[in-house]
Formats: sequence, structure tokens, C-alpha cells
Amino acid sequence: MDIQFAWLCLIFPLVGVGLTPVLARIHPTLRDYGAVFFSGLAAFSAVTLLPYLFDQPSKLPIESVYVWLDAPIKVSFGILIDPLSIIIANVVAVISFFIMIYCLGYMKGDSSVMRFWMLMNAFIGSMLLLVLANNLLFIFIGWKLVGVCSYGLIGYYYRDEQKYWIGGPPPTKYAKPTDCGLKALIVTGVGDMLMLGGILIMFYYARTLNILELYQTSAVWIPEMAKSPGLIVLVSVLLLAGPIGKSAQFPLHEWLPEAMAGPGPVSALIHAATMVKSGVYLVARLIPIFYYGYWVAGCSEALTFFTLTAWVGVITAFLAASQGLVSLELKKALAYSTVSQIGYMMLALGVTGFSQGILVSGYAAGVFHLVSHAMFKACLFLCAGTVIHTAHSIYMHEMGSLKKYMPYTWFFMTIAGLSLMGVPPLPGFWSKDAVLASCLASQNYSLFIAAVAAVVFTSFYTTRMMGMIFYGKTSENVKHLEEKRAHLGEGYRTQTFACGVLAIALLVVGVLGLKFEHFFHGVFEYNLVEQLHLPVQHAEGNASHLFVPILSVVCVLLGAVPAYFLYIAGKWNPDTILQRSSFLQVFHKFFWERWYIDAFYNWFFVRGAVNLSNLVPPVAEDPWDKVVHKWMPSFITKGGYALLRFMRADTRDLTYNVGYILVLFIFFIIVTVWGLK
Amino acid sequence: MMPHILLQIIFIPALTSIFIFLGRYQIGKKAGWIAGGSLLYTTYLLSLAWLKIYQGGPNIYEEYLLIEPGIRLALLGDGLSIPVAFIANVLCTVLAFYSIHYVDHRIEIIYEGIDERRYDSYYTRFYYLFLFFPMGFMGISFSANLLVMYFFLEALTVTLYFLMAYFGYIERVKIAMMCLLWGIFSAVFFLAGSLLIYSQLGSFAISKIPALAGNPLTFWIICVFLFGLFAKLAIFPFHVWMPWVHAEHPTCIAGLLAVYANIAAYIIVRVLVLPLYNDFQVFGIPIMVMAVITMIYGSFLTMAQTDIKRVAACSTISQIAYSMLGLGALTMVSIEGGMFFFLSHIMGKTIFFSTAGLVVYTTGIRDIRNLGGLARKMPITALLWVCGAMMLSGFPPFSSFTAEWIMFTGVFERGASNSTALIVGIIGVMAILLTVGYAFLAVKNVFYGPLKPHLEGEAIKDPPLTMCVPLILLVALSIVLGMYPKIVMNLLHPVIGGALIPS
Repeated sequence: MDIQFAWLCLIFPLVGVGLTPVLARIHPTLRDYGAVFFSGLAAFSAVTLLPYLFDQPSKLPIESVYVWLDAPIKVSFGILIDPLSIIIANVVAVISFFIMIYCLGYMKGDSSVMRFWMLMNAFIGSMLLLVLANNLLFIFIGWKLVGVCSYGLIGYYYRDEQKYWIGGPPPTKYAKPTDCGLKALIVTGVGDMLMLGGILIMFYYARTLNILELYQTSAVWIPEMAKSPGLIVLVSVLLLAGPIGKSAQFPLHEWLPEAMAGPGPVSALIHAATMVKSGVYLVARLIPIFYYGYWVAGCSEALTFFTLTAWVGVITAFLAASQGLVSLELKKALAYSTVSQIGYMMLALGVTGFSQGILVSGYAAGVFHLVSHAMFKACLFLCAGTVIHTAHSIYMHEMGSLKKYMPYTWFFMTIAGLSLMGVPPLPGFWSKDAVLASCLASQNYSLFIAAVAAVVFTSFYTTRMMGMIFYGKTSENVKHLEEKRAHLGEGYRTQTFACGVLAIALLVVGVLGLKFEHFFHGVFEYNLVEQLHLPVQHAEGNASHLFVPILSVVCVLLGAVPAYFLYIAGKWNPDTILQRSSFLQVFHKFFWERWYIDAFYNWFFVRGAVNLSNLVPPVAEDPWDKVVHKWMPSFITKGGYALLRFMRADTRDLTYNVGYILVLFIFFIIVTVWGLK
Repeated sequence: MMPHILLQIIFIPALTSIFIFLGRYQIGKKAGWIAGGSLLYTTYLLSLAWLKIYQGGPNIYEEYLLIEPGIRLALLGDGLSIPVAFIANVLCTVLAFYSIHYVDHRIEIIYEGIDERRYDSYYTRFYYLFLFFPMGFMGISFSANLLVMYFFLEALTVTLYFLMAYFGYIERVKIAMMCLLWGIFSAVFFLAGSLLIYSQLGSFAISKIPALAGNPLTFWIICVFLFGLFAKLAIFPFHVWMPWVHAEHPTCIAGLLAVYANIAAYIIVRVLVLPLYNDFQVFGIPIMVMAVITMIYGSFLTMAQTDIKRVAACSTISQIAYSMLGLGALTMVSIEGGMFFFLSHIMGKTIFFSTAGLVVYTTGIRDIRNLGGLARKMPITALLWVCGAMMLSGFPPFSSFTAEWIMFTGVFERGASNSTALIVGIIGVMAILLTVGYAFLAVKNVFYGPLKPHLEGEAIKDPPLTMCVPLILLVALSIVLGMYPKIVMNLLHPVIGGALIPS
């Protein structure tokens, strides 16, 4: 039980990457179980770090450091174990392990499964590097690596066969997996690159990238940075661009709905439970720095970091939830929901800087929501993978009344769905409640109202999703499958097992929800206040204590009841209601078209870049090439020849000869006059 | 320590070349293995030299009197020249093996139906010309004297001319001529600059150049050098030769062309930046601005290309500008990063180009629009291309990431005191995104999607091992340098840092 386990946690998945091709040569089963085994070892190593949180929080943080580069700049590589990294490493490693178990069934029979296992383990290793690294550079390395793995896994079905296309149904366009992978790589890349700029500017002032050193020396370098007006604002924007991109927040959120082109468990692992949380993790890492800057060093610009985080979070929560209301694709609905839920985490972390009373509660709420979301969303995605496999369709309207065919999946998905909605006593309720409470405590009511509105939306779209999949009328598609005597039932046992474990874990955490919340609060209070010495004020007992949970439950009901009547009880027909109201149609269209943001990006950035690049050759390159490679040589050769003709003495043309003599005379006269002077 | 190690490193390839030439009809197709073998030996010598300097040994200096009284061949192996020479030599070695099959294939296409004797003559001709590349690169790296450097610069230009004219693609003779003229253009300016230095100092020795500091003529001398070297580096607007040359040359030397162009960055550091650091300051920001313009322009130009070879060519324009951005920022960190990026880029570009060559070799198709879905048929090639794309776009764990990071640390250091540099820095990091765009777009267009019907044939498969294995080893080298950058930085730092810290 010491830091070696943290190193092993990082190393095991990478060993798995290297060994998979070797094991594949021996036996395919060994390859599959080998890959899962190494992720299991990583999970085990992560779990061994947990006792630190319970027994010895005072021993934290622990660092293990090796010098990586000493000239021209000194950079050390190491591992940092503190409450944040232990919690997130466990989320990553443990959930990944269950998802890997699920993959044993899901990927059975896939022809290039070796590539799949290698990419999955590489992803887990990179993600753990991101979480455990003690240094912003290595966090960034992990950050980039998870991006590449995600690119490889989104575009896993690289042959772009039609059955793997997402999007649609017509007239909405389809998207091919490889396009989706590229989109993810580039859109998150925008954030990555800006963040690199931010990190490097920070490095110039702080002369270190080590997280603990950054905290310790903030008294020196933050005031120094504040001397250049606008610089802290710039750095805040640049640093936040990375998390905004990776965690799919507005305005860089458009890649995540398309990231669902990969295999189901990939969506569960990368685009729901882990990678998209890295942005939240990094914001949490940076909070002590900017909090110090604002509340201790008195740099008013540092508040930008918090304001921006909170607003980006709440806008995204609302925007994505609204898109989730109309989605027809199951995984896309879950993707919008992920984007929206991460918005809540950002919101909670953003409000931490608004007042000294919210630091700990907001921080703990953000991390708690991260943990609970990772659990229920992983479970939802895994169940969705099974459902899609069974229904042979990605669209929810091609499912319907599947409950009788897959009772286990229904049960597990219901638990996870209720947790997403925020129904007590599931973890989603406790963590969302904590987020809303922190938001209310910030007394920024516009943030609070938007966040509450998103709760209503969440509740509606989750109920709608469950209704469309498991209840209501059997769709033509399912009837057709029935006639064909296709397998309509649960997936492989490993799949059901993984979903089941996550669902049971949700129940356990839910029952102990308040304890968990207090635990997180206590751990971070000790970490932020006692160890990092950040100033806080203890909030007086306030009225929000009961107000928020009650409001939250009311909002859940506000969303769930109409959705129940529309999609579960079948009392009202959603299509008829939509056809009757042009008002609703406008909104439906607006949400379906994703607020036209994606269309705008495509038009402005993609078409713009293509048009610009198509313009470069005819407008700039070709003319310039002509000047250099045609006109200049011809000018030199032809001009040279003409000059020679002019200059020869025997021109047989009197005018030229007279001309030469004249020029020569003038020259001599000038020289003489010059000489006389 | 091996005696005359630098001399051996430079001239063993040349001697091997003469040997191959003399025995061309007997050696025939073994020429590739002989050339590769001799380069393996020089790589070994270079590793010895590397190790010695890495362990803190003194610089290696060799001087040979050529003609009485004062024409000397002065060679210096220090922490700056050895990594450059080593990486260039490794690339030459890799490409020598890679070419064994490629040249065979090329001769069959160009000189269809020739008899065996003429075939041998052409085959060996490739290798005895090829070996002048390592000679030239090693010569430029180790020269401690401007005139010697000029000689090797010209040697490269002439070698390239012949190789291109004999083994290039469709318009090879015309483009070879164009390339020669551009090469001479930059070499002439280099010579003019050297003569100007001689006029002031009475010496061609690079070690004497610091004495020029503060001289009123220095500004103009630097201008003359930069004018010539920018043409070599293909900095906008001197870049027009690059797409032509890269499109028509035999792909097996493509990586060397990237070195041919980018080595000018090394010359700038060696001859101008380090000795004349203070006088060079005025050029800093203009170079950064030019570099960033070239980066963006080159990227857009790349995106517009449909010829797989031109994609790589135009990307070189944009990539070389990165190392110039590092040099232009003129901080110790940025210059060291810029040099490291130069080394990383030439490795990445060799992978990228050579993989493009594998595709052309296998399919005979250059137009990207006619390619697609090749990953199914050529998985190793696809993987190599993805590695190449990652190396160009600066993804970890490849050395270009580490280099880019070190370089941009320096650029932002400059940016802290100069807002133009800050803006250029931010645009610069964003421009990396364009690289990601075109490199991975090419991956998608060539390798992903459904396989085009005309590519179904059985002949479409991963090329032979002699072509793939050297490239895989090169990828491994890049990963090693990326994960353990000390190997390079501990060499570069004493030279660059040592020269700059006092000033």
C-alpha cells in the first residue's frame, strides 16, 4: 500500500498494450482475457490507494519524482497522489475494468479485435497518466494520448460500412465513423492547442509545471503575472479552452454527439465515463491557483476563470439537455445528456470562486457528480449497447416494448436512468442536489434558474428514452425481427454482468449517498483548507438545505410526468401533438438541428478552410510560380539576348552605333566634369 | 576513440560510392546492401562520437591541410553537429535499405526493356550517387569552415540534380534543372556571405565569426546569408520550388530532401545565431512573422493537393517554418527546441514521405482521389502513415511533441516581453491544428473508407520487409527520443546554451 501501486496502476495497462499482440499469437482467448486482466490489475492498484482517503489523509499528498529533462528547462516526471487523483483514478480504472469485461461479450467475433484491445488499454493507461501525473506537461501528454486513442476508437470501424453510420434518418445527414473520429480529433485539438499556450505562459512566470509547486509558489508568480493587465484573463481563457474541448462544453461541444460512431463500450468508457471527465479534473486541479489569485493575492482578473467556467457549464447543461429532448438516436440522446451533465460539474466548480463559503462545497459537489455520473452513464451506455445490438437499430423509434425481451437490461437501465434524472435516493439525486445547492449559495440566480430548467429537461428526455425503448408500441422493426426469429434478448453474460455490477453499485452508493457527500466534503475540506491553506468562510445554516432537494424533486416530476403520459402510458401521442402546434415545431426543428451550431461550424470552419485552401493555388501559388519559374527565366534569357543584340558593335544599323557613341560621349563628359570638381 | 573519426564519417560513403562505381557490373543489385552497410558503419561511428560527447568528453576537432599554405579541411564534432549528423545519417541508412526494392521498381518503369548490363549500371548509379548525400550532410554538419561548408552544399545540389534527372518522375529532367538552379542560387548567396566575412576577418573559420559582432557590415552579411538560406528552407515566398521538386523526385530520397532543405536551419544557428547573437536580434521578430505566415500558407497549400507526393511536399514548407519560428524567437530554449524540432521533423517527414512512397510503389497511383480503404490491404503501411501523421502533428510519445513543447516554451518566453511574439506564438500553436487536419485527412482519404474496386487485386499488399523494417526502426527511434529527450538536449544545451548565456 504505497506509491508503487500508483506507478503500477499506470504501467499495467501499457504492459497490456505491448503484450496483446504476443498473446494473440498464442491463442485468441488468451488475447481477450489477457487484455481484460491487465485492466483489472490497474483497477486493483487503484483500489489499493483508497485507504489513504479513509485512514491517512494527512499523509497526502505524496509525490514520487524523477528528473526527466534538466536542460534547457528542468522538468520532472512523477506521480501525485492526493484526494482528487485517487478518486478520479479509481473512477477511471474500476469503471474501465467493468467495461472491459463487458467488451468480452460485445466484441466477440470482431475481426480486428486485437486493435480494439490495444487501443482500449492504451486509453486506460493514458487516462491514468493524465490523472496521476504530478506535472502539467505530463497531464498534457496524457491528454493528447487519450485524444489519439479516442480518435482510433471512434473511427474503429474504419471501413465506413453503412451499418456503422450514425446520424439520420433522412433528410438528416449520416456521418461515417472515420469522419467522426477526425472531427473529434480536430475539435478537441482546438482546445488542446490553446491550452498549451496557456500552460506555457504560466510556465514562464511560475518557472515550474509541477502542480504542488504551482500551488506553493502562487504567492510569487500570480502577482507577477497580474502586473501585465489582461494577462490573467488571457491565461484563464487559454487554459479553459482545453477542458472545454475535451469535456465537450460549449462552444467546443459539437464533437461528442458524433463520437458515438465507435463501438458501444467505447462510448461508455471514453465518451461518457472517463475521457470527457478529464476537463473537469483539470479545472479542479487549477481551482486552487485561481482561487488563491482572486481571494488572497487580490487579482480581480482571476475571477474570470470562475465566471467563465460557471457560465460555460450552465449554458452547456441547458443547451445539450434541450437537444436531448428531441433526439431519436439512443446513443446520441445519451451523448447530449453527457454533455449536459458535465455542464453541471463545470457549474459546480465554477461557482467555487464566487464566494469563500462555496469553495469546499462546490468542489466536492463537482467531483461527487463526476463520480456518480461516471457510474450511471457507464451503465446507461453499456445497456444501450446491448439494446442496440438486440434491436439492430440505433433509433429509439425503431425499438419499443423491449422490456419483455430483456428484463435485466431494463432493470439496470431503469436504475441508471432514474439516477440520471435525479430521483432519490440514487447517487444522481445527491450529487445534482449538491451542485444546485452550491449554485444557489453563490447567489447568482440566473445560473441557478438555467440549471434548474435543465433538470426538467433531463427528467423529460430520460423518461422519454426509457419509454421509447422499453414501453409503448412494438415498432415495425422489432416485429420484423420477431418474424425473422432473430435473437431478441439479453446480450452475452459478461455484458449483463458488467451492467448489473454497475447498477448494484449505484444502489449502494445511492443508499449511502449523504454519507458519500459528507465524505467528499470532509476530504476536500482537509485538502484545500488545511493543506493548501486556502481561506474559506463556513456557511451559516441556510434555508437552501431543504429548499433545493424539494425543488429538485418537483423539477424531476415536472419533466417526468408529461413524458410518462407521452411515452410510457401512451395516453397522448407525441407525433400528433407536434403536428398540431407550429410553435412546438419551431422548437423541435431548432433543437433537432442542434441550435444550428454544428451547421454553422461546418459552413464556417470546414467549408471555409476547404474553400480557402482551394483558393490558395489559383490565387497565390500558381501566379507566383509563374512569375518565378516562367517570367523570370524568360525575362532573363530573352532580355539577355536582346541586350546582347543591342550591345554588339556590328549592328549594321547606324542608329544604334550613333546611339552608343552618344552614350559613351555623355559618360566621358560626366567623368571629366566629376574629375574637374 | 577511433582515429580520424569525423573524416571517416564523411568520406567512407564517398569511398564506398567510388567502389560501387568501379565494380558496378559485378556488384549489381548488391549495391544497396553495400551502401547500407557502409552507412551502418558510419552510424556506429557517430554513436561512438555521440556517446563520448554525452559523457562530457571534449569536442572532437580535426584539421587536415589540403593545399599549402592555408587551405584546410577543418571539422568540428560538438553537441550541435553530432545530433544533426547522426539523425541525418540514420535517415540515409534507413533510406538506403528502403531504396533496395524501390529503385528496382523505378528502373523497371522508367527504363523498361533494358538489358541486364544497363540495368546494373542504372541500379548501381542510384547508389553511387545516393552516397554523396550522407557525405554532404556529414560535411555540412561537421564543417568548421565556411568554404568547406559551401563545398558540401554544392555537392548536395549536384547529387540531387543527377539523382532526380535519372530516377525522378515524369518531368524529372526539367525539374532537376530547376532544383539545381535554386540550389546554386542559395549556395551563391552563401558564398557571397562567406566572402564578405572573409573580407572583414581574413578567415573562413566559423570560430572567428564572433569577431564580427558590432561590425556595421554584419547586418548586411546576415541579410545575404538569410536570403540564400531562406530559399533553401523554402520560406514563403521562396518556397515555389519545393512542391515541384518533391513531386518529381524518386520517393526513396524524399526524406533526404527534407534534410536538404531543413539543414539550412542548422547552418543559420551555427553560422549566424550563435556567433552573432546580438546582431541577429533585429531579425528575430521578422523571422517569426515570416515563419508563421509560411506555416499557415503551407498548410492551406497542402490541403489543396490531390497528389499524394505533393501533400508531403507542401507539408514540408509548413513544417520547416516551425523550426524557424523557434530560431526567430531567439531565446535559448526556443533555439534548442527549434533544433530538436528540425531533427524530429526530418524523421517524421521521412516516415510520411516514405510511406507515401510505399503507397505509390504498391498501387502505382498518386492521385488521392483514386485511393481509399487501403488500411485493409496494407495495415503496416497504414500504421506507419498514422505514425508519420502523429509525428508531423506533434503527438506524444514522438520526439516532435517534446521538441514542439520545448520550442514553444521558448517562443512564449519571448512572448512575455513582446506582444507580437505572443500573438505569433498563439497563432503558431493554433497552426499545428492545420497540420493535424491535413495529415489525418490524408490518412482518412488514403486508408479508410471502402476499398476502391481497382485496388482489390492481390498485388496490393504491404511492401517487402526491407522497406518496412527500416521505417519501423525509425519510428522507434523517434519514440525513444521523445520519451527520453535528454539524449539530444544534453548535447545541444552545452553548445547553444554555452554560446548564449554570456551574451
